[in-house]
Parts: sequence; structure tokens; C-alpha cells
Amino acid sequence: MRFVFLLFICSALTNAAEPTWWSLKKLSRPELPERSEANSIDRFIREKQNTLNLTPAKTADKRTLARRLAYDLWGIPLSPKRLEAFLKDTRPEAYSDLVDELLASPRYGERWARHWLDVVHYGESHGYDKDQPRPHAWPYRDYVIRSFNEDKPYSRFVREQIAGDILWPHSEDGIVATGFLSTGPWDLIGHEEVPESKIDGKVARHLDRDDMVTATITTFCSLTAQCAQCHDHKADPVSMKDYYSLQAVFAALDRTNREYDLDPAVADKRAALKEDQRTREIRLANAEKALEKIKTPEIKKLDVKITKLRKSSGKDHLGYHSQVSNKQDAVKWVQLDLGKSMPIDRIEILGAREYGFDDFGFPHRFKVEASNKADFSRSAILADFQENDHPRSGSQPVIFEGKSSVSRYIRFTATKLWSRRHKGKPLTNNWIFALDEMTVTSDGKQVPVKKVTALDSIEALPRWGRTNLIDGPPADPNTDLASLVAKRDEFLKNVAAKELAKIKTGRQKVEALTKELSALPKPRLAYVGAVHTGKGNFIGRGHLNGQPRDIHILDRGDVTQPLDKVPPNPVPGIVVGMDQFDLPKDHTEGDRRVALANWITHPDNTLTWRSIVNRIWQYHFGTGLVETANDFGQIGEKPSHPELLDWLAVEFRDGGGSMKSLHRIILNSDTYKQSSLHSSSNSAIDNSNKFLWRQNRRRLDAESIRDSVLIVAGKMDFKMGGPSFQDFIIEKPQHSPHYKYNKADPDNAATHRRSIYRFLVRSQPQPFMDALDCADPSLHVDRRGETTTALQALALMNNKFMVRMAEHFAAKIAIQPDPIGTAIRLTLGRHITTDERVLFEAYQKKHGLPATCRIIFNLSEFSYVD
Amino acid sequence: MLTTRRDFLWQSGGGLGGIALASMMGQEAQFQPKAKRVVQLFMSGAASHLDLFDFKPELIKRHGEKSDFGEHVEAFQNGLGPWKKPVWEFSPHGRSGKMLGETVAPLGEVVDDIAFIHNLTGKTGVHSQATYLQATGFDRPGFPGMGSWVSYGLGSMNDNLPTFVVLPDHRGFASNGPKNWSSAFLPAVNQGTIIRPGTKEPITHLNAPESAAYLTPQAETDAGRLLAKLNSEHFAQRASDSRLDARIKSYELAARMQLAAPEALDISGEPDYIRKMYGLEPDGRSWPKEINWKEEADYFGRKCLAARRLLERGVRFVQVWSGNDNGFPRRNWDSHEDIGRDHGPLSRGMAIGAAALIKDLKQRGMLDDTIILWTTEFGRMPSTQGSKGRDHNPHVFTNWLAGGGIKGGISHGESDQWGYKPADRKNPTQVYDIHATILHQLGLDHEQLTFRKDSIDRRLTDVHGHVIEEILA
Repeated sequence: MRFVFLLFICSALTNAAEPTWWSLKKLSRPELPERSEANSIDRFIREKQNTLNLTPAKTADKRTLARRLAYDLWGIPLSPKRLEAFLKDTRPEAYSDLVDELLASPRYGERWARHWLDVVHYGESHGYDKDQPRPHAWPYRDYVIRSFNEDKPYSRFVREQIAGDILWPHSEDGIVATGFLSTGPWDLIGHEEVPESKIDGKVARHLDRDDMVTATITTFCSLTAQCAQCHDHKADPVSMKDYYSLQAVFAALDRTNREYDLDPAVADKRAALKEDQRTREIRLANAEKALEKIKTPEIKKLDVKITKLRKSSGKDHLGYHSQVSNKQDAVKWVQLDLGKSMPIDRIEILGAREYGFDDFGFPHRFKVEASNKADFSRSAILADFQENDHPRSGSQPVIFEGKSSVSRYIRFTATKLWSRRHKGKPLTNNWIFALDEMTVTSDGKQVPVKKVTALDSIEALPRWGRTNLIDGPPADPNTDLASLVAKRDEFLKNVAAKELAKIKTGRQKVEALTKELSALPKPRLAYVGAVHTGKGNFIGRGHLNGQPRDIHILDRGDVTQPLDKVPPNPVPGIVVGMDQFDLPKDHTEGDRRVALANWITHPDNTLTWRSIVNRIWQYHFGTGLVETANDFGQIGEKPSHPELLDWLAVEFRDGGGSMKSLHRIILNSDTYKQSSLHSSSNSAIDNSNKFLWRQNRRRLDAESIRDSVLIVAGKMDFKMGGPSFQDFIIEKPQHSPHYKYNKADPDNAATHRRSIYRFLVRSQPQPFMDALDCADPSLHVDRRGETTTALQALALMNNKFMVRMAEHFAAKIAIQPDPIGTAIRLTLGRHITTDERVLFEAYQKKHGLPATCRIIFNLSEFSYVD
Repeated sequence: MLTTRRDFLWQSGGGLGGIALASMMGQEAQFQPKAKRVVQLFMSGAASHLDLFDFKPELIKRHGEKSDFGEHVEAFQNGLGPWKKPVWEFSPHGRSGKMLGETVAPLGEVVDDIAFIHNLTGKTGVHSQATYLQATGFDRPGFPGMGSWVSYGLGSMNDNLPTFVVLPDHRGFASNGPKNWSSAFLPAVNQGTIIRPGTKEPITHLNAPESAAYLTPQAETDAGRLLAKLNSEHFAQRASDSRLDARIKSYELAARMQLAAPEALDISGEPDYIRKMYGLEPDGRSWPKEINWKEEADYFGRKCLAARRLLERGVRFVQVWSGNDNGFPRRNWDSHEDIGRDHGPLSRGMAIGAAALIKDLKQRGMLDDTIILWTTEFGRMPSTQGSKGRDHNPHVFTNWLAGGGIKGGISHGESDQWGYKPADRKNPTQVYDIHATILHQLGLDHEQLTFRKDSIDRRLTDVHGHVIEEILA
């Protein structure tokens, strides 16, 4: 067998007592290099540069620093006013004050949450086939923004996302944070159309858990545990058993909309009522069980009969169903051949029972005719509802008199069809007609029908078919069934009056509680990873009280080849002394997630703290101290400054996990403040700038470009939170929504919000953002791609949002005394040069201000930060 | 070895394509490529092998009898009614005498150029996973399409059009949408570019919006010049940063693409006999509401003709889709209800367009180095669903290949007597083998064409794949 991994297997690593790989070594605070620099980061960086003969770059000028800071922390430029104030402020604290000010603004959370959403592969549609939207995914996005803005301790941030619903069940954050577990793609068809018992259903659920494991371990630990799905990890100490033990942590979960309350009092009330209802339901079930024991054989016989009758009135043979038409007024008919001509007493027509309708498919308008000619070239009309709607028939048969006609054929012709429903809503292009039963009475007796014909029929037996129209009506629950039930109840009363009374009051109480629950304010919904209580194929584990599914090691990852069953456990060797979860036998599924959260946030976890400080570092410098931020394993890169990484990790961990403190240390370092200018002597030693002898020039990401354009055009609406804006039109929502970006109006004010509030469709990325390398929500993006393509140039030039914003920008500056100079100041944060002015004004004269603004949006200087 | 233009394109993509090729060139097992280009025809919804290409006399004999597979069968919608004979008569075609369903008879003329594979097997009967598997080699999102891998491995052959072009069904995307041709973790320059021939904006963002009338051709030319000047000055002050240079060049390439794309898609100069061969009807004619083969032939033929024109102009990989999502009314190959109704027009249209493409490439001497792959996400069951349909069959289905050093007039691999599973269940053909074979013909070793992502050296063929030597000329 050949494997993907071409590297050697480092088995020594799993056996050795002392781990040798850097990321598995115990985390401890390194000594600071003895140097004069005040900032600790600078000491580590300069020390290394000294040994390599590298000379650090000078500090960048204040304008450059202001622009760099603004894009780093906000993702948008400073206002011209704030920029001027900063430039004029000669105090030594001017810079650190600006850092503090930027960190204190809500714009900071909006910028940094976007980084986090990249890593956790947050999207707002399911992906896969149909790609239905997730209208309740956004509470998680808002939670991330809020957490960054509040500077939530990292440990709490992690614990909430894995098990917040267990640890802080009454807080909004506790519930919506578990949206983390549901961020990834989800196979709707594999869950809703295929049960867990089928292989395809098992595959879908296996992929689902794999996504949860991958998301959790990649995001928080930068470990590629998912590689051990088909075989032990080829490079890192993760066995197949370890991988499936992680799957066991999530074995009770599905992705689902969860109700929650903002008001803790309401939440408590709801929880109490639900708990009460649950216990009463159990009591009721017990009482019913007790009743079962008292039942005499006679009663039991009746029970069997009743069940049988109920079943036969069920769903097997539904009736006749026409083909679907896209017009409501399409004419469709079905007809009976009685074999010979006979006097018709009456005709009974019964609606079909399906999807909760007793008159499913019963047409609104129709006629009933009798004839002796099969083609109805001549006929007698027995009923005519072609001009006015017939009242809905419900479960009652519709009866028409024979009007003394003597005929061989009866035809029912629908002239105004019934609309099919999707999730309860009528469809506008989907018209049918269906009937359960047609019976004809002649001389006081029901006539056996020889043949049923129809204009068309879907013929999906056993459920639907022409012959089902005459297979006898379903047992009538209102007569046969009712009498049987009455008889049984009478018998019961004689032997178990007390038990019956108990059941009756029990039922009443449950119903009262249901009423009380529905009287509470409507709960909010959040799409999260949780125990799902569903129906049909996608039933989840709610009906089993959240009992986790059994997880087996799968031979080569094949669901049809289960090996040993595994309990939930962490990856050994990462937290010393915690190679197994200490869970009691009767633990709940939530206990498993809490155990995992405790393991990840354990102070001695060798991966967690290094992982997060490296991510933060990367977003400030463009490259992490470890280049592969999602992979600290042996196939990943080694850290460029291992001591600095460890120092930051310990400082962060022991300082309470404050992101803002970490930002401050980094942003106030001289290393960060360096100019990005090139030096050939340094470059000859360290071409890739691994040792940070200058700051890296960075290209703006898609969001920063879009947001900046909105701001300078004067169109930005800084409304925070809530449902995402949609910069597309959805067509054909019933089945596979078509997300039409080209049909959206760029002037729709609802879309003029920060890009983090954009609705993220998985299957069909937004063409403009996609061309600018925005994150693919199906991938854990630790670092944005940075490609330069012709399609990107075309997008920046011709995207209608860009062109429209250039027009708004032009209208805004046209009234200024110096339009072009203003444009350059707003977009680039500097004064226009004389040469530029000449060139721009010449172009403007020829082609106008909007065309000129469009060029400014396409300047390299606008897309790059020095 | 590398042209400057290709060099540039790779640099634009982060330089990684270059690395891929360079590392491959170091391999001793490097071989002479037989093919340069690929056309992938993808029938979305799952086309029935039994009614088109895989002739099963046993089904004719047993038609209407209760189906008995000799084992427990899980069907997607439990469509396990009686055995169902092919909807169309089969008859022999070409020197090879290949049996084809009447509905795809137009392929008879080129059947001796085609190698059929009748023992393809998939993993699941779920459209999305199965489509991903055939398009990207993995059954879940997050992996590059085959065209992206080919683009990454070989780079571009032209200097003004994309390397990998996708011609989607005009009525909507197949299952998974554009994710089927995404570059995923490969540099974005390798992703499939959607082209919609015959529309106002055949490539998204190709031209400025019509509403901006002030953006005249002169304004655009002047804008290009001004941008180049200003961006060059910006670059000059930061000369070590090659990204800034690449950015300037990307605007030049964009301007060339604006001219090249409309020219490539303009079929007004195509002679009548070519239009006729591809089944084209007069431009802009209207169609009845009901699905019909002439309309399908026109749509599919236009895509095939566009494909030929793009290939002539150096596009390396063209993916043509037939069939949209499972909307209403059905316009794809997922014939649960009625094979005749959907497969009839779709397959007749496909056969006319595909046959024309093969003939046309041949008469231009391009068939020798262009591979055509016909595929779908899985097959359909030999049993009846409802009264006229067939349920999903992920266990066996058909692919065919032509051109690019593929041996014509043969059938490789057999399905069992029913067309339910491979005749030799232990040795089926898998998508990995198809992909490995196509890469091989392009001169790429599927085990060497890799990209490292989160610790794994990813391949199009995952950890599988064998070149199918039997179908190579």
C-alpha cells in the first residue's frame, strides 16, 4: 500500500520519554537575552540578528505607521482628521496611544474576528448538493466579534466554543459559541434523505464528525490529527485509536438550530418548564406501562385490532396522483370504466391523506361527468365547479348524485390544480391533482370498477397509481376505529379506573406545560453543534437523551469495516499526566466535551498556547514565527525563533490570555515599527526576511479593500451584528438555490456594511471577493492566498460595485476645493505629488472624475501596505 | 524550456506551478507526453450506462421479472422494482461493432476512436459526494478539480486566455457548483474560469458595466497607460518586490484577455457545415417548453464548438457540463421518474455535440494530442423505479475516452450480466485510474504531482490510481 506521506516515520517520537520535537516539548519561560532593548520581543529578534550579521531597518515614518496600524487593527484607513492629529502629536506616547485607541474600538473586533472565521472555516450555507442557506449561523460570528472586543480570556474563549452550553448554559455566549462546532460544510442529502442505518448515511455522519475533530484540533492545537483516519499518523504521534477517540468526544452531536433566550430569567423558566415536562412525560410513560400490565387478554386483543386498523389507514396506498404541471389551469382528468352501462345513484370522491393534509391534491375547480363513450364526446354533467372554487373537502368524502344518468364511464376533470408545498409553503410553479378514492353506487350497491384511465399519472407504486383510486377506502378512524376504542376503554375502566385517572391528569398537566411554554417570549435560534432531536432520517440523538453513538476504529477509514470500539480520549503525550480523560461510567456527552476543553486549555498543553500566539504574530507580520500556523507537526515548518515563541506563549498564558495585551507587546516593539524597505546586504544573508530585519509589505485582503472603498465613497454603514447582508439574489430557493451575484444592486444600502457581515455561500463564492483571495469557507485557512491574476485585475477594474463606488466617491469629492488631492489623501493617506496631479488632471479632463477615481482604486499603493 | 509567458503566469500564481513542474522534471521516470489538452464532458445527475453504452441482453430477456440481485441492495430511493430493459434498441456501430443505444447513435461515426470503460465504480450514491469524487478525486469539499491539477502541473499554453475553462450548463450549476472546479489549496491562477459563450459577459468582470458609458474604449486605453505609469513608479521605489511587477503585468494580460475572449467565442465565421455538424440551430431561435433533443443538441453543440475554438487558442483544459441542479422541471440526468423523458433529449444532444467535437478535432489534426473524457457521477440501476425510472447505482457505471493516445474501438472492463456491479468485483476501475491515465498521457506521473497542504503531500489520485495500460494506443 502506498501512502500520501513521503516522509519517514518517526516512531522514536512516540516511544521516547522526552519528546524531541519542538512543539511537544514542555512549555517554560525562556531567559530574556541580556540586552539593552526595553521591549522583550526586540531582545530576542536583535539577538538573533546579531549572530547573523543582520542590520535592522530604521523605524518607518509616522504616516506609514499610521496606515499600517489602521489596517492591522481595523482593516480600514484612519479618518483624515485622526491621521492629521497623530502626525501633529509629537509626544513620545502618541504612537502607543493610537494603538490603545484602535484596540478599544469595536472596529478592532470586526477585523480580528474575520481572521478567526478564516481558521474555523465559518460559512453560512451547507455546501454539498443543494447548498441550502443557514439563516441562523450569524450569532456565532457576532460572538467572535464580541469576544475580541471584550478581550475575553483565551481559555474561556476556547472552552465556550467546545462546551459553552455545558459550562455556561444560561449565558448567550455559552450557547452561541458552540456554533464553532457547526461552522463547516454539511451534507444535507446524506443526512435528511438517507438514514444512519444505510452505508451512505454512515459515510455522511462519519465525514461530519471528522469535520468537527479536524476543526477543533487544527484550530486550537495546530495538530493534523485528521491524518490518522485511515492509518496511524505518518509523522506525528497520533494513532488511529487516538483519532477515533477524538471522534467519540463529538459522537452525540449534529449540526442543528438551537433555541436560546437572551433573558436569563426566561431561559431559566423555559429550562424549568421543559424539565418539568420531561419528568411528567416519564411519569406518564410509566403510568401507561403500569396500565399495560393490568390489561386483560381481551383488552390486549382489542389493542392489536386498533393498531392494525390505524396502520391500514396509513400511508401505503395513497391514491391517484397526476403528473406535475407548471400551470395551475392545466386540465387533467381521471376516469372509471364500469364495464357496462348502468344507472348511477351517486359518486363518492375522497381526498388523499398525505403530508398532514386530509385533502392533499384535491383540485379547487373541477367537473364530474358521466358518459357511454370512453372519449366523452357526449356526456352528462353531474357536478360543475369550474367557475367557483369548491370548498376544501378535508377528510370528508365529496358526494354527487347520479341525476338518473345511465352510463358506463365516469370522469373527474380538474380545471384548477392544487399547489405542491415545500416546507409548508405553496410552490408557484408546481401544480398537481390527487385523489384517494372514487366509488360509484348503482342500485344501492357499490359497483366494481373494471378499469381506471387518466390523462397522466405519476405511477409511483405502491404509494401512487391509477389502481389505487379503486382499492377501497382506508379504514375510517371516525367509525370503526372509534367504536373499537370506545369498547376497549370501557373494559379498561372496569379494571383500571385509578390508573386511567392518573394518566388523564398526567396528560392534562403535560398539555398545560406545553401551553405555558408557548406563552414564553419566542426563543432565539443559533446554528450550533448540539444534540439534535429530529424526525425521519435525520433523527439525531435527542430521542436517546443525547446518548453518544458508538465509535469504532474504522479499518482504512471505511464505515463498513469497524474494528474496536473506542471511548473518548485526548491525544496522549501533549499534556503530561493526561493521556486519558477521567470520565465516570455514567458520564454525559457534555462531560466529554468539557474534558476535551479542559485538556486543550490545560496550562501544560504544549500546543495550545504556542498555536495562538503564533497566529496573532502572523497577522501582524504576514508570516508566523512558525510558517505553517495550522501544523506544528513534523511535516510543518520549525519556528524561526523558538525562544521568542515560547516566551510569548508563557507570557500570554500566565497573563490571563489577553489578546489585547499581546497585541500591545508586539505593536510597541521596534521590530514591528521597522520600515519595509529593502536592503541588499541583509537580503544577501536572509532573502526571505525570516529574521525580520525589516517589516513585510503586505497586500490588503479582499475585506479591507471592499471596506475601504465603501468608506472613502462615503457609503459605509457601521451597523454591527445581526443577520448577514446578502449581495446576491436567490432564485429557485426550493431545491438548489441559485445565488445570483450579478443580479444584486450595488446601490442596495443594506449591503453597504463591513464585509464581515457578508453572507458566505459555500458552493458559489462571491466573484469579486473570490478573485481577491478571500477565504474558502470549506478550508481551514491559516493564511490567505496572495495571488495576482488577470481575473483579479478585471475584478478590480470592472466589478459593478467597484465602478459604482468610484462614481459615489467622485460625487463626494467633486464639491471639495481640490477633488483629486482629496481623493489621494482619503485612499492613500498622503499628499498628492506634482507629477501625479498633472497626470490625473489630464485624465480627468478627458474622461471625468468617476473614471479617475476608478483608477485610484486600482493603484498598487492602494492595495499594499508598506 | 519555459516560455517567458508561462514563467510569468506561474509567478502570478505564487510561483508554485513552476515548482511543481521543476520537481517533476527532476524525476528520472519522466516520459514523453502524448497529449497536451483535455476536454472533460460531465453529465450531471448520473447518466445511465444501461440505456446508452453498456448493452445487457439479459435485461431484455428478463424485462418485467422481479429483480433479484442475489444480495441485499441499498438503493438511494429504494428503487428496486422489476428488471428494466434498455429504453432504446441497441445496434452495432463502426468496425469495432460496438453496441450503442439508438439515442446515442450519432457517436457511431466516431466509435472506433473511443475506448469505453464499463467497470467504473464509485463510493456513494449521494450526488454531491459522488460529483466531488469524479471532479476532484475526493468525496468532500476542499480539493482542486482535475483541470486545476493539470494547470498546476503544466501551466498555460497561451498568453491571453485562462488555462482551465469551464462551460457550465446554462440552466444552472451541477451539484456542488463552482467548488467542482475550484483550485482549493492550489494557487488561484489554476482555478477553472467560467465562460458563458453567446452571452454579453462571457467571463465575469470581462468588461466595465454598461451603465458606465463614460468608460469609452479611449478612456480604457488611457486608463491602462496611466495605471501602468503610476504603478511602475510605485514599483520602482520598491524594486525588490516582484509582486508589484507581477501586478502591473496582470493588468496587461487582462487587457489582452478582453480582446482575445470575444474573438475566441465568436462563431459567426464558422461555416455552415460546421454549424450543422455540431447540431446548431439559427442563433436566437425560441424553444418549446418541453425538453426536446434539438434544443439540447443546440446547447451542447455550442459548448462543444466553443471548446474546440478555445483549445485551438491554447486553452489546456475545458470542462463541459450537461445538466443542472435537481430543480423542476428536470433538466439533468437524474432520471428517477422517466429515463426516456430526460435521457432521450439529453443524450441525443450530447451525442451530436460530442461526435462533432471528435470529428472536428480529428480533421484539424488535434485529436492526436487532445484527450476527451466522458463522465458522470455514477450509473443507474438495472431495476425499475416507479414505472419508467431508474435509481442511483454507485457500484458500476461507464466512462469513455478518446484521442490523446487512447486506443480507439475498444471496451475495457466489464460490468456483470445486469450492469449492477463490476463483473470482477475485486478489480474495478476507479476514478483514480482514469485520472492517473490522463495525467500519464499528459506526461505527468500522478504520484509525483503533489502539493503540500496541512502536512499532507496532496495528489489528485490521493493514495490510489494505476495507469490503465490496456486503453493506451
